[in-house]
Amino acid sequence: MSHLLEPDTPLLHEWLLRAAAATPYAIAVEEDDRTTSFGELVESACALAATLRARGIQTGDRVAIVLPKTTEAVTAVFGCLLAGAVYVPIHPRWPADRIAAVVEDCGARLIFEEADSVVRLTGARGESPVRWDDALASPHGALPSPGRCDEDAAVILFTSGSTGRPKGVVLSHRAVAAFVRWSAAEFGIGAADRIVCPAPLGFDLSTFDLFNMALCGATCVLVPENIGWMPRFLVRYAAEKRVTAWYSVPSILSRMLRNGGMGVGVCPALHVVLFAGEVISGSDLALLTAAVPGAICANLYGPTETNVVTFYRIPGQFDGAAPPPIGRACPFAEVLVDESAGELLAGGESLMTGYWNRPDDNARAFVNRNGSLYYRTGDRVRLSSDGNLVFAGRLDRQVKRHGYRIELGEIETAISRNPAILEVGVVATQEQDKGIVITAFIGTGPAGGRLSLLEVKAHCAASLPPYMVPDRVRFVESVPRGTRGKLDYSALEKLARE
Amino acid sequence: MDVKQEIRGYVVEHFLPGGQGLDETTPLISGGVIDSIGMLGLVSFIESRFGIEFMPREVDAHALDNLKMIEAVIDRKLAAKQG
Repeated sequence: MSHLLEPDTPLLHEWLLRAAAATPYAIAVEEDDRTTSFGELVESACALAATLRARGIQTGDRVAIVLPKTTEAVTAVFGCLLAGAVYVPIHPRWPADRIAAVVEDCGARLIFEEADSVVRLTGARGESPVRWDDALASPHGALPSPGRCDEDAAVILFTSGSTGRPKGVVLSHRAVAAFVRWSAAEFGIGAADRIVCPAPLGFDLSTFDLFNMALCGATCVLVPENIGWMPRFLVRYAAEKRVTAWYSVPSILSRMLRNGGMGVGVCPALHVVLFAGEVISGSDLALLTAAVPGAICANLYGPTETNVVTFYRIPGQFDGAAPPPIGRACPFAEVLVDESAGELLAGGESLMTGYWNRPDDNARAFVNRNGSLYYRTGDRVRLSSDGNLVFAGRLDRQVKRHGYRIELGEIETAISRNPAILEVGVVATQEQDKGIVITAFIGTGPAGGRLSLLEVKAHCAASLPPYMVPDRVRFVESVPRGTRGKLDYSALEKLARE
Repeated sequence: MDVKQEIRGYVVEHFLPGGQGLDETTPLISGGVIDSIGMLGLVSFIESRFGIEFMPREVDAHALDNLKMIEAVIDRKLAAKQG
């Protein structure tokens, strides 16, 4: 099969076909005590692709994957790509309304989901579901070529939207391939690697393990959901699985180092530890470099819209008090600092195609500089004396909590849907020991009719993911406003700190 | 020792000041009271307070979603420890 494939194909699913042709018996996916070889993975993914095509999926159609990161989910990703479709990962623990809204927004015609502990393929318009085992039983001797090119969309990642609706970031095969190829070369990922990335499929981090597996013939080690819950389970799992390469948000590493018993020699096989998605503290980084001496540790930076665009390799044992810089541009990326606001502009090969179905957001997101397109990251940066970029805060109301990206405006929209609430302002403050704390101020009017804290939290949980539910709710007669009638967020932040 | 009261006290102190409306069947995780990071703290508190250790399959959002369920898991583990 491999002689039919371009050696440098930029199509993600063709990487998998090539790996399966080269090493069909090598382990592609390992999930607890279950292993799947490259040959088996391709066999299953091709069968799924044939099922998708038989159910009417055409090139460029969207297919939602509402599954935890399991072997089935990984198979579904490659099944979609082999069918020429675009996969749309959605976290199964999101509220049903939010899942339905995303499925509708992206126009997914088919959905992989779990019902009564069985994975099935259902139609968005109520067609009869196909059980997983039946979906795998499709004959697929001659899978039609989906006729894709590298500019075509591979995945849509939905992220928090400031106007109250999640927005879909469209990434092409080329954009994903640029990051994955570079990461393999930069960090020496190869067939012997056993990679863990304990991020849901809907995070851009999950392009690292899935597609390095396909590109390099490495093993993607999946973390069962109940193991990911507790730091000490996760550390034990990483040690038992002899994990060699790791990529996660810093929050998870912090818990493993501080509460999970991850000390020197616990994970001796680890040779690459990458982190991204939020700022890692200097003290966590010192613990990390002490726990994995000799491993490459690197801080990767980039919003979902561009995937990773800059990186900083931690030089040996880190003993700085401040967080590390975000470093310098990856070779496939272009970064500029907008002089007026100090905003980082990012472009190059990994840049998103655009937001799905959001012309207004696209008009705001992109800027043309010197004939090239850049994404306005909203991140303020400064250049340090040694030429590294240093993150210096946000220009808007986006916050990161436990690595999750949160638009405070989306929380306000969700809360204000409750007719008993007159007005609401949401702020995030940094607290010692607790990190980012989200406080919602709810205006009840002079009559003071009020919901309970429990009711507000339950109302939020019905439409927002758990990490977006406010930690605190303060009932006030009216939410402070400035002279022009706009909510006074600095006054709210001050109140929140009291 | 009243297990349920101790857990209730922890939840009220950390997640639900005042505790208004909290009863033994109030959904804690699916109801937005505790997120997964908060659950981590609760499980650590239970382990150190009652001297028990959770196994991976026992730490699950569905199995620990209200005070009654949490109490049942603790009682079972305490009984197994003594037996």
